Amino acid sequence: MRTEDIEGILRDTLRQEVTEATDGLLGLEERIAAELGERRPRLRISDWLRLLLAPTRAGRIGQLSVVGATAAICLLVGVFVASQFGLDRTSSGIRLTPSQNADGTQEILFVLPALNADDVSVVGTFNAWEPTALSDEDDDGIWTASIPLPPGRYEYAFIIDGRWWGQDPLADEYVRSYGEYSSVRYVGGGDGA
Amino acid sequence: MIRSKCAAAAGGVILVLLAIGTAACAEVSVSDFAEAFESIPVSDLGRFIAAAELGLSQADFPASQTLQLIGRLAATAHSPQEKEALLLNIVIAMEDGLPVDGLVTKGLEGLARAVSVPLIEQSLHQRLILIAETRDLLYAKGIFSVEPGSPQSVPTALPTPRFNLLVSHISDTLADYLEGGGSPFEGETLCQEVRFRLTSLEGATLVAADVDLVLKRVEPADLTRVALSAVT
Amino acid sequence: MYRVQDEVSLLRASLEGETEAWGEMISRYKDAVFGLCLGFLRNRADAEDVTHDAFIRAYVNLRRYNLEKRFSTWLFTIAANLCRNRLRYRRNHPVAELPDEIHGGADPATIVARDDRHAGVREALTRLPYGYRAPLVLRFYNDLSYREIADVLAIPEGTVKTRIHRGKAMLKECMEERDPS
Repeated sequence: MRTEDIEGILRDTLRQEVTEATDGLLGLEERIAAELGERRPRLRISDWLRLLLAPTRAGRIGQLSVVGATAAICLLVGVFVASQFGLDRTSSGIRLTPSQNADGTQEILFVLPALNADDVSVVGTFNAWEPTALSDEDDDGIWTASIPLPPGRYEYAFIIDGRWWGQDPLADEYVRSYGEYSSVRYVGGGDGA
Repeated sequence: MIRSKCAAAAGGVILVLLAIGTAACAEVSVSDFAEAFESIPVSDLGRFIAAAELGLSQADFPASQTLQLIGRLAATAHSPQEKEALLLNIVIAMEDGLPVDGLVTKGLEGLARAVSVPLIEQSLHQRLILIAETRDLLYAKGIFSVEPGSPQSVPTALPTPRFNLLVSHISDTLADYLEGGGSPFEGETLCQEVRFRLTSLEGATLVAADVDLVLKRVEPADLTRVALSAVT
Repeated sequence: MYRVQDEVSLLRASLEGETEAWGEMISRYKDAVFGLCLGFLRNRADAEDVTHDAFIRAYVNLRRYNLEKRFSTWLFTIAANLCRNRLRYRRNHPVAELPDEIHGGADPATIVARDDRHAGVREALTRLPYGYRAPLVLRFYNDLSYREIADVLAIPEGTVKTRIHRGKAMLKECMEERDPS
């Protein structure tokens, strides 16, 4: 089989797959219009996360979904955060990326809703598994810390009042380590999977 | 910073540990390691110091973190023999010129999670085998390491730091998989896991061409063989 | 295909809250986005979800769109990122078998008599790792240039070329394995 054949077959196949599934797209415009309602394109802020708009912070926040052992609350919010100097732009136009520092590190935001906790910290490969404290200055139960990290892969967990919590909703992946969960984040780099 | 619970220790030990703590922020030397090993104490000091010298001569050696590991290990309530057994895995890696990052961070994590030292040793031992076998695998596939600055003999000869990163990530992926209960016979899955890890780090810490080189040459059966070496 | 000025007017109207203008943009781009998602995710239900999410997210972020870039590139980048997140989510929440997953096997519900080679390609494509599959879809479904693919996936252009070259070879191998004739 020649390579040109492959290209042709691939094109046809991909088109055919879409054609077969297209009825799923019927009414998409209406559904989206209904969901958007009167909404204008602007930042959408939830009361829970107002803290994150503090002027010095910029970070990667995608969909936040929290199910905690202590919190019986499911929080589903899409939040987009702008730094005080404007929106993050890269050459591809839009990117929900952490802000870049001059030394090549990126400010990575660690966020954990932990109502009624006295003490929240994060431990991981970036701090030799020695706790870095998160803070909740306005006492709304949302703890945060911003840590500059060079590109790479980082394993970590939270410690809430002495108890380890390894499943960060913002993590890219989870692994098992010593029988417990750890979270993983990738900083910088490609999108292969 | 390094903590010490050695209440019976002479004041000199405290000073030594403070010096190690300060040195961790500045440049680390062999004598820092010597003092750290003495605080365990290890029985074969000469061997351990020689290994530290070898380690320090490598550009990508995580000196400060390794010192922290030794210091925190010294502070735990286990026998010197058990602590030495744990460190021996790292020493062997240093002697063989194998990357130790994965071992050191796993050791630090285990101590932070209050896992018993013998269990941490078990985990490190398995990882050490995987690291060694992974390096052998890459060599068998024609992917070599050369000292940075040396002329590249073949296009598949990578500077040692880049080579070591590949070894670290491949072996770490296999170790995580096996520790999570995965079977070494699931070669296809091992391949997918390795692919995911390596491609996720392209452009971050791994060079895309290096990743492609590995993914092109390594096959499921190869990873099964490596994984089996660690569990049998 | 569409006049750029026309599109700029639609985008301006969308920014002012005219959801009908946005509806027109959706109509124009939904097949392209859906095709991208279906190619990346190999699962119809997921592709529909992500297509929907992509248009929502694009609308909410519209004022970040930099008019210097092609709108399609920007939109595809959003969709590609959502697909990547969906794949990561799937890895951590595996289901025994994905419903609607695209395989090459005979599907009695399909009326069209499918060429066996097409079945082979579908299966092969589903089995390709994401890193190789994504550039192929963007090239052979969305007809993007290497430069545009590099932008959308945030990888170097050289890597795009290698991946496409190797991806085609892997497909070929897979199909020849299936049907050695």
